[in-house]
Amino acid sequence: MSTERRGVVQWLAVLLTAIVMAGPAQAKSWQHETGTLTLNQTPKRIVALNWAATEALLLLGITPVGVADRDGYGYWVQEPAMPEEGVANVGTRVAPSLEAVAQLEPDLIVTSTEMAPAADLLERIAPTYVVSVYKEGSTPFEKARGMLLTLGEMMGREDRARQVLADLEQTLKRQREQLENAGLTERPVALVSFLDQRHVRIYTRNGLFQKALDGLGLKNAWDTDGSYWGFSVIGLEAMADVTNARLVALEPFVPGLSDSLANSPFWTYLPPVQRDQVYQIPPAWPFGGVHAVKRLATSLTQALLEGGSNNVH
Amino acid sequence: MSTDSAAPSQQQPALPARLPFVAMLLWLIALTASAAPLLSGLSLPELLSAFWSYDGANYSTVLAHYSWAPRVAIAVLIGCGLGLAGAITQQILGNPLASPTTLGVAAGSQFGITLATLFAPGLLAFSPDIAAVGGGLLAIGLVIALTWRLGFSPVTVILAGLVVSFFLGAINMAFLLLKGEWLGNLYIWGAGSLVQNNWQPFLDLLPRVLTIAVLMLALMRPLQLLQLGQASASSLGGRVALVRALALFLVVLMSATVVSRVGMVAFVGLAAPVMARLLGARTLGQRLLWSTVMGGGFLLLADTLAHWATAWGGSSLVPTGTATALIGGPIILMALQSIRNTHHMPGQDTNPGSFLPKRRSLNTVAIALGGLLLVTTFISMAWSPGLEGWNWTPPWQWADAWVWRGPRLLAAILAGMALGMAGTLIQRMTGNPMGSPELLGISGGAALMMVIVVISGLEIGRFGQLAVATLGAAIALGLLILLARRHQFAGNQLLLGGLALSVFMDAGLRLVMASGGTVASRLLNWMYGSTWLVSETEALGLMALVLGFGVLLVLTLRPLMLLPLGSASASSLGLAVPRARLLLLLLASVLTAAATVVIGPMSFVGLIAPHLARVLGQQTVGRQLVVAALAGGFLLALADYLSRVVMYPNQLPAGLLAALVGGIYFLWGLSRHGRA
Repeated sequence: MSTERRGVVQWLAVLLTAIVMAGPAQAKSWQHETGTLTLNQTPKRIVALNWAATEALLLLGITPVGVADRDGYGYWVQEPAMPEEGVANVGTRVAPSLEAVAQLEPDLIVTSTEMAPAADLLERIAPTYVVSVYKEGSTPFEKARGMLLTLGEMMGREDRARQVLADLEQTLKRQREQLENAGLTERPVALVSFLDQRHVRIYTRNGLFQKALDGLGLKNAWDTDGSYWGFSVIGLEAMADVTNARLVALEPFVPGLSDSLANSPFWTYLPPVQRDQVYQIPPAWPFGGVHAVKRLATSLTQALLEGGSNNVH
Repeated sequence: MSTDSAAPSQQQPALPARLPFVAMLLWLIALTASAAPLLSGLSLPELLSAFWSYDGANYSTVLAHYSWAPRVAIAVLIGCGLGLAGAITQQILGNPLASPTTLGVAAGSQFGITLATLFAPGLLAFSPDIAAVGGGLLAIGLVIALTWRLGFSPVTVILAGLVVSFFLGAINMAFLLLKGEWLGNLYIWGAGSLVQNNWQPFLDLLPRVLTIAVLMLALMRPLQLLQLGQASASSLGGRVALVRALALFLVVLMSATVVSRVGMVAFVGLAAPVMARLLGARTLGQRLLWSTVMGGGFLLLADTLAHWATAWGGSSLVPTGTATALIGGPIILMALQSIRNTHHMPGQDTNPGSFLPKRRSLNTVAIALGGLLLVTTFISMAWSPGLEGWNWTPPWQWADAWVWRGPRLLAAILAGMALGMAGTLIQRMTGNPMGSPELLGISGGAALMMVIVVISGLEIGRFGQLAVATLGAAIALGLLILLARRHQFAGNQLLLGGLALSVFMDAGLRLVMASGGTVASRLLNWMYGSTWLVSETEALGLMALVLGFGVLLVLTLRPLMLLPLGSASASSLGLAVPRARLLLLLLASVLTAAATVVIGPMSFVGLIAPHLARVLGQQTVGRQLVVAALAGGFLLALADYLSRVVMYPNQLPAGLLAALVGGIYFLWGLSRHGRA
């Protein structure tokens, strides 16, 4: 009897604390890149203005009410999948429609300093959390990790955020072992996207994908830093410098690429091509958040284990 | 004009010795610089043999044979082709600052390539020429259709070419902004890169370029007649229009064919003939020959510099288009010196008789435009799409809608008015119907600063944007004043200086474009106007500024009427000509700077609005000012509304829509006028 009563009291105490916590007296504040964000209660209606933030919210199991360039997300980012229903498109990532954002009546907007010129206007609509994964002088993965944890805190889902990160580290570790067992970690890797038949975007050490390479115990074949987005646009002829590397190409390709490459002795004499070390992997979003790292690492590991060829197809 | 240029051609003056000398020097420097980095790994004979063979066992020779040699060859081929095309264009239009780009060919080709990339990628893989030439022909077809009845009067052709360029260029940008992720190739194409990795593009181009060049040379005699001036040429053969059309067609073929493979290598078609002329090529034959030679050397040198800069920057691509623009700027500035003597300016030999629509009453036109402006304002506030479809906002709920629709609309109208007035001022002051704030380089200065900020990777807020743009406009203005003081603020020198400034901006823009991605689309977004970022405070500030300067404009009516009479007559009528020009320049610059911050440097409302006023029959200064302001305001109001609603929730920059809307109206006006 007494234990039962104590249980009830405890339960009431917990309930009371919960009510108090949820009340306005418990407003919590976060410092972010352009100011302070104060939330009186856990946000329910969130708008994300770039795909890195969209990805982080979906990872936490939260469906944003609005995202920028919703349809592009489905092709370029793909994972975690966006629910078919209930997410509104608020316009392009460089110039979202503020009126559409306002109409959604969000209680939190997540954006980056790219939107700095619109900061005051966004702040009028809802409290705005500004976090730039890609910015001069920052390490994208660390910033993405921080963004996920902070969003987890704001939403009361810190455990989930930590779980996602732990899962990522574990995946990387497991895949690294697979590669090591297969003896595939020695030779450096050059990660590229073909822009046309003559130019590629090569992913550099200061980018997001470096985290995947590090985690898998692979060396990036390209040893100069690129723009703060983590890539350089180079002419295909610059690939001649990375004679010792394996070449990993991210889809999609322009039509006619493989024919054009096959017809060019420049390409067929390229050392990685001669060694049949050209690997092709599905698109991963190089300007995304933590999940893009997992996605890349997974398809990269699989491609390396399956073995390469002498061309893209 | 006819006496100026016809006389020397009949005397067949000797070619100055410096011309072959400079050309040889240019080629020598270019070839040496291009070969230098490879000589560390290969001997000279090995390097030369790279043009026809390679050694499979030695990767350096493979690289030289399949990367370096075709790049050198294609640079020379394309440079020569563009140089020749440029010289022919200048001959057809009797204008030393015309180039294939002026005719809309480049924008047209890009349009073709964009459409092909998005909707028929197979075609592009099969042959990029078809798309590029198709687009180029579309552009020139528009130009010819619009100017046919005016017998291709050069000024109308250039004007139509410019408008077609803006128009197609705006469509290209819309695609880039909405589908950027899919168009990575187009960012590079727009920046121009000569990177090669096999001989196929060169072998494809060679027979085409040679054939077109031979056909062009076959047209030399009839083209020579053009030099005698329209009247004498007509009396000699009467087929002036036909010759022009034929030559234009060849120019399009040549330019579109070469750019289809490497993208927009800007200013070669302009700089090569200008260099040839500067160095003393006088007769048509000399100009064609030396422009071709100079073009080849020029592009090879520019491409080598781009290649060097690329290597120096850790292989990160510096596009050839950046280098041609950087070298082209100074050449145009040099041309400024020589062209002063020839009185041969873009658009100056306008024939007002053919461009004078019938007068209309000011009241009718002003009331009509004012009415349109009001209707646009009403619709813009009231009838908008939302997430659940279109809806109607009755006026008593406008207070809520104001935040998202009001300030941007107000700012757009004011920017349009400011640009309309500034454009009229500049066109009147320079007596040149092609004058516009955009061409004066003031918007270019603002844009250049923004490009620099973007390249340096700084994140600046809205206030920073405004400050930087204003600073850029002010610096450009200061430079222009310095530059123009020597010429007592005469109009055409200003336009040339402005052109040179825009060229530098272009160089930076291409650098950003080549890197593609979000940075490029953000910059493009700003360049085409960011009305969506305007707050009430900014809109009200702009209002105070534009209204204040509008009043000041009333004081300028007298000098504006006197200046086109020529400085001698104006002075004798008691006008302090240099001071009046300085004042007008200042006024125009402040108005432009204010507008540019809101609408970006690329709307070309400042060019279009004054023309609209003339097409609408307003000839005197005061009337043109009022109507141009109203037309500019209406144009941008409409553009801002459309930019918000046509692709909802995607927004297009309003300046882009202004170029589209204004372009359509302008083309229509021009064609109607041609029919009359």
